[in-house]
Amino acid sequence: MVISTALSARIREAGLAYLLLLPSLAFLAAFTYWPILRSIWFSFHDVVLGDSKIIWLGLENYQRLLEDRLFWKAFGNTAFYTVITIPLAITCALLLAVALDSKLRGMAIYRSAFFYPVMIPSVAAGMVWVFLYSASYGPINKGLSLIGIPDTAWLYDSKWALPAIMVMSVWKYSGYFMLILLAALKLVPSDLYEAARLDGISAWNRLIHITLPLISPTLYFVIIIGLLHSYQIFDYVYVMTHGGPADATNVLTFYIYQNGFQYQDVGYASTLANVLLLFVGGLIAVIATVFGRRVHYLGR
Amino acid sequence: MSNKSTFGQIASGVSRRAFMVGGTAAVASAAVLRGARAQAATKVQFMYPVGVSGDINKIVSGMVAKFNAAHPTIEVEAIYAGNYDNTEQKVITSLGVGDPPSTWLPINSALQTFLGLDSLADVTQKAKAGDIYQDFLPQFLDTCVSDGKLYGLPFQPSTPVLYLNRTAMKEAGIAKAPQTWTELLEVAKTLTIRENGELKRWGLTIGGGWHDWIFECYCRQNELVPWTKDKVLFDNPAALDALEFWVKMEKAGVMPKASTWEGSANDFMAGRTAMLYHSTGSLTNLRKSSKFEVDVAFMPKNKVFGAAQGGGPIMIAKKQTDAQLEAAWTLTQWMTSTEVQSQWCRDTGYLAVRKSAWETPEMLAYLKEVPQAKVALEQSAYAGAFLQVPGYHKVREYLKSALDRTLAGEIKPDAALKEANDASNREIQRLLRRRG
Repeated sequence: MVISTALSARIREAGLAYLLLLPSLAFLAAFTYWPILRSIWFSFHDVVLGDSKIIWLGLENYQRLLEDRLFWKAFGNTAFYTVITIPLAITCALLLAVALDSKLRGMAIYRSAFFYPVMIPSVAAGMVWVFLYSASYGPINKGLSLIGIPDTAWLYDSKWALPAIMVMSVWKYSGYFMLILLAALKLVPSDLYEAARLDGISAWNRLIHITLPLISPTLYFVIIIGLLHSYQIFDYVYVMTHGGPADATNVLTFYIYQNGFQYQDVGYASTLANVLLLFVGGLIAVIATVFGRRVHYLGR
Repeated sequence: MSNKSTFGQIASGVSRRAFMVGGTAAVASAAVLRGARAQAATKVQFMYPVGVSGDINKIVSGMVAKFNAAHPTIEVEAIYAGNYDNTEQKVITSLGVGDPPSTWLPINSALQTFLGLDSLADVTQKAKAGDIYQDFLPQFLDTCVSDGKLYGLPFQPSTPVLYLNRTAMKEAGIAKAPQTWTELLEVAKTLTIRENGELKRWGLTIGGGWHDWIFECYCRQNELVPWTKDKVLFDNPAALDALEFWVKMEKAGVMPKASTWEGSANDFMAGRTAMLYHSTGSLTNLRKSSKFEVDVAFMPKNKVFGAAQGGGPIMIAKKQTDAQLEAAWTLTQWMTSTEVQSQWCRDTGYLAVRKSAWETPEMLAYLKEVPQAKVALEQSAYAGAFLQVPGYHKVREYLKSALDRTLAGEIKPDAALKEANDASNREIQRLLRRRG
């Protein structure tokens, strides 16, 4: 009797839990899981946007991908962007967060100023940077000419276009990462620093041996978020370079968009999207295995 | 007489109650009339892009407002959709869900794409009933024809032309526009300015983003149409010769390796480049926004003069009600009528599609004042349709990538064109396979 009452209470509780989860599950199923399954299905077919006719291809799209020079170029560009931008943005964010964690006057203004780029819509920010990078009349070239660096069309030069977008991304994301890291720094107990100071530990060693280990869960989170951001980079490329010049800034998400919407080749775009999903998923799994184990959770 | 005094006089002569009742009745009857119009009017959408520099969006929405005012039974909703690509994507997406706009304005190369989706109304018989086959310039009408059938009407044809900074030319002692490729290179050399090794002005810029269109013009100047209905011929020696000439100009330091469509127009207006290949649709903006005298010339020839016909027609959706089809046809005819085309040409620089539009008194007066406006029309006698192949979009990207990489020095011209040729033909074959 007692058991059956307890069981029915648990069933009721579980029922309520599923009921409460239902709205978000329905949304996830409709707008995330179903499209993923559909894109897997499409990747084995010839599908053209706007046309209901679907032709079975087997693995042809995947074979095409292996031989597609532009896919490998976009893949390389995305990887280069990630490898450079994420560490750079996180380092800048960490240094800013540590600097802004002190008790200086007008700190709120500094924090707002560094967070400001995050609040600017990506398209507007992209347009502003197109102007900043302009040859001849752009402020960046004007500034660089003062130290003798010749006028360069940063966004039209296949060597410099991607690094130019990367600089802008660091500017845009550092503030966001800074805010998250700053919140983590506030949770580090101040008595640890006081004890270290009494023991004559230098500021650098305090950063390496106290701050970093104690904010490592947040740092781990920031790395994962940064990685996801870097594989979603689209808006800056669309606004600033459209993948050019000479495909120098073509990245995977932009290439997927081009295939799916510009070329109406939905089957191939789905193939690319699946490969991207697998790759990013794999990368996160590797990071979780290598880095996740080193994360210190305070009090555990 | 001020409004206030008029109102005062009315108010003093009529009782307040009668005035209020009358006013309410007037407002109510206006609402009823509006309601009646809304009920009777056939609603159609017109989705359009802006493909050149300047304030074209405002001009088109003004034209549609004028059309609506003159046609009480039709209500056209003008939808600005971005550039040509954005417009095409939006139309194709809406075709996918079975709800396309009634009319839209794509680039003329998209004809085969939309035919592949079985989405276009055949207007051959409708056109034959009027004066379209007699009055439209045939080179423009041809861009809407496939297998002898007419799909839509040309609205804003254009070709690239060579824009010249006349003031800069005078300062450099150059009397006339270059006529041949060789002269083009020489003039570009003279007009390029470098101070202490730093570039101040390019001699020439080829408008980026549409440089594949301009490249087709170069091929045609070498007597090559670089495509047939089911393949491209980018690996032809005439195409290779054209690309090698581009490389020669880039190596000579007279033109940049890359540019953008809007950016190159801005550079010309700012005096950063002395000559510019751009669409004739940019004429009015370039002429009015430049602080120097702007001249327009034929694109220089090599073996012959040649140009690829760009710009777009108005296409009509196949799947819509008869009333909507009729309304869409009325709109399309009105947008391509003599008076409207004459005005459109003067406002933008796009070429008027009707012979009669070139003979209106306003147009004759305009041509007297701006003789440059006629250059593209004369050049269009040497023009043919631009890249009419299935999957033209991807083919354009393959070619643009080949051109860019060659100019950036990453690949040799012959290897680049071979690669673009093979990739393009694979794509065309894929789409032809779908059609069975």
